[in-house]
Amino acid sequence: MSNTAEGCDRPVRRVVVVGGGSAGWISACRLAAAARRGGSDVAVTLVESATVPTVGVGEGTWPTMRNTLAKIGISETHFVRGCDAAFKQGARFVGWADGTPGDGYYHPLNPPAGATDVDLAPYWQQTPGGADFAEWVDFQASLCDAGLAPKAITMPEYAGQANYAYHLDAGKFAALLQEHATQALGVEHVVGDIVRAGMADNGDIAGVVLADGRTIEGDLFIDCSGFAALLIGGVYDVPFRSCADVMFADRAIAMQVPYDDPDDPVTCHTVATAQGSGWIWDIGLWTRRGIGHVYSSAHQSDDDAEATLRRYIGPAAEKLSARKLRIEAGHRERFWQNNCVAVGLSAGFVEPLEASALMLIEASMDAIADRLPRTRGAIDTAARQFNAAFTHHWARIIEFLKLHYAITRRTDTAFWRDHADPKTWPDGLAERLALWRDHPPAAVDFDHAREVFGWPSYQYVLNGMNYPTTYARPAASPEAALAQRWLARNERMRADAMQRLPKHRDLLRAVREHGLQAV
Amino acid sequence: MTRLRALDPARHGALRLDKARGAAERRLVPVGRGEIALAAADMPVLLAKDGQTGHFELVALVGLVEPVNLFVSPAGYHATSQPQAAGLTALRLDPEGADGLAVDEADASLGTAGEALFEGGRAKRWRRALEAALADVTAGRALADSYARRGVLRPLSVTLTMADGQEQVLDGLYGVAEAALAELADADVVAMHRADELAPAAVLTASLAQVERLRQLHNARFSRQIAAIGLGIAD
Repeated sequence: MSNTAEGCDRPVRRVVVVGGGSAGWISACRLAAAARRGGSDVAVTLVESATVPTVGVGEGTWPTMRNTLAKIGISETHFVRGCDAAFKQGARFVGWADGTPGDGYYHPLNPPAGATDVDLAPYWQQTPGGADFAEWVDFQASLCDAGLAPKAITMPEYAGQANYAYHLDAGKFAALLQEHATQALGVEHVVGDIVRAGMADNGDIAGVVLADGRTIEGDLFIDCSGFAALLIGGVYDVPFRSCADVMFADRAIAMQVPYDDPDDPVTCHTVATAQGSGWIWDIGLWTRRGIGHVYSSAHQSDDDAEATLRRYIGPAAEKLSARKLRIEAGHRERFWQNNCVAVGLSAGFVEPLEASALMLIEASMDAIADRLPRTRGAIDTAARQFNAAFTHHWARIIEFLKLHYAITRRTDTAFWRDHADPKTWPDGLAERLALWRDHPPAAVDFDHAREVFGWPSYQYVLNGMNYPTTYARPAASPEAALAQRWLARNERMRADAMQRLPKHRDLLRAVREHGLQAV
Repeated sequence: MTRLRALDPARHGALRLDKARGAAERRLVPVGRGEIALAAADMPVLLAKDGQTGHFELVALVGLVEPVNLFVSPAGYHATSQPQAAGLTALRLDPEGADGLAVDEADASLGTAGEALFEGGRAKRWRRALEAALADVTAGRALADSYARRGVLRPLSVTLTMADGQEQVLDGLYGVAEAALAELADADVVAMHRADELAPAAVLTASLAQVERLRQLHNARFSRQIAAIGLGIAD
């Protein structure tokens, strides 16, 4: 095929997804569902190896997953039952600020009250005794502390009284998506090992050739082949941009820990507890907790790291085996090359501190599936836009994750001292932190209108970690009256939510027994 | 506050049950499928979710601002009919109790007025009445489930505008959306008709006009007057 005018006009009708983990099946579902909704004749094929296991991590989502599942056409009830899913209302960071007893703060999923009308941070700073920021500007931290769910059984699917995301079993999630893609959305599922790609004259991938001799041809290829990066790396050799000099964690050890009692409470937020050379995640699902230690092998041996994890879990860890993962922190210099887009681990990976892995897959498919190039000619423009957007997203994700470490006051280990060293900070973070000593993070501090981490997230982390700030003292003004109204409204919402919402496990049980209604 | 006890002739033998006083402190009462047309003659019949299961139930709206049944007053009962279950709020099925019943001793319908709980030492007639009412309510739930499955239910907003200008919104109510019915495929419409689900849907929608009756009853009893009631159903 040549890149002639005829080639430019050639319609995009066949999309091939390579890889069958969460990224592959989310991509296939989103593409097929969007084609159905738009009445197009785009056909979606997913090719996956029978011999290469999926990585199976990524058990925390963002609230965006609700929209993704709704677009795909999966009911929330089916999802919760099928993936042993639980609701997630944010994260609690324990021991990150100074490591002293009681050190902990929430990054809830609700934005501060009145976020579109008024910035409450300067008013919070005037509170006597230093109120907890997340608690003061929003009610969700109270729900988390009380073990309450973000919604009641009487609320419709994908709607809640508080913002929420999910914790899920990644293996079951991929299986659920596969079933839906092949049975409801008409995705063709091909099992086979890719041995090479057939190339067109213009450098595009014309098809992938399987070990059994079959060739799967396509107009657009989505590389979801995980760390193998069969197409974006194997075919196009797009360089990998490491950020290991900024994000030191390069190992993870994970365990699946059953509850002592099936009726034990299910924590409704991620708990991220700082350790000497990393941190431990702790998430609650319906039948078990997922617990793992992310650490820097330059600062701690693998054996010590596993011992740290086992100490955290306690006696329950004695009979459990640990799963070990290597993290190569960074991302591709380009994500979309010719007619190939990398989505998921093939595009990049960084420690799961703010659960960005699944969100990036969703964001990629929002950009690809909701505006699928209709012709080959449109692909190049889409690629330029996509590469610019996701290069920016990756830079901002790395910066935001680094923020959690950079402003620590911990000096107990080399790991924390190295993180706090400005020489390890990405460009721009030092400048922004200097600005944020005198001004609360605001939308104008960011280049893009749609940042993956908006200013509320920065406020929750900065103020949660007691980053020293001296904001201008708010004067008595109409805005001050507005702030007071929002704060009063927040207190009413807190009281109502605390009274109305059920315990998290009780809600999960009700969803499993009775289901949620569509309206 | 309920005070449930297994029915006991020794303890409850002298009690009487005044059905007209049942559900006196409720704004919503369950309606049986066979009672839709009768209830609609006086009160809005709509749908609400069960707090434990989230499933839709057929209910009549009988109160607005205060948690009281506007059709029940010391002067008597102010409607042409009463949903069966509303008159039996004092009773529960209980295999431990006499004739398989329990009573809520705190229910306002129990006392010295009304019909005797026991006749010849037995309360069987109340057991039969309660079972019949529950069976009809179950049939109402099945109808509501069918509407939900067909995707024709939508949230219903009931906005009370008080005479002082303040607004109050009643949450958690649902109705059959005419727009959703109109979008159904022909085969679904025929299936609903054959299952006797279309006619009740029309009665439910028509009954919403009875909110005006509730407004009149409210204003006759309470000093804080309701100036107007707005109804809206989501698309």
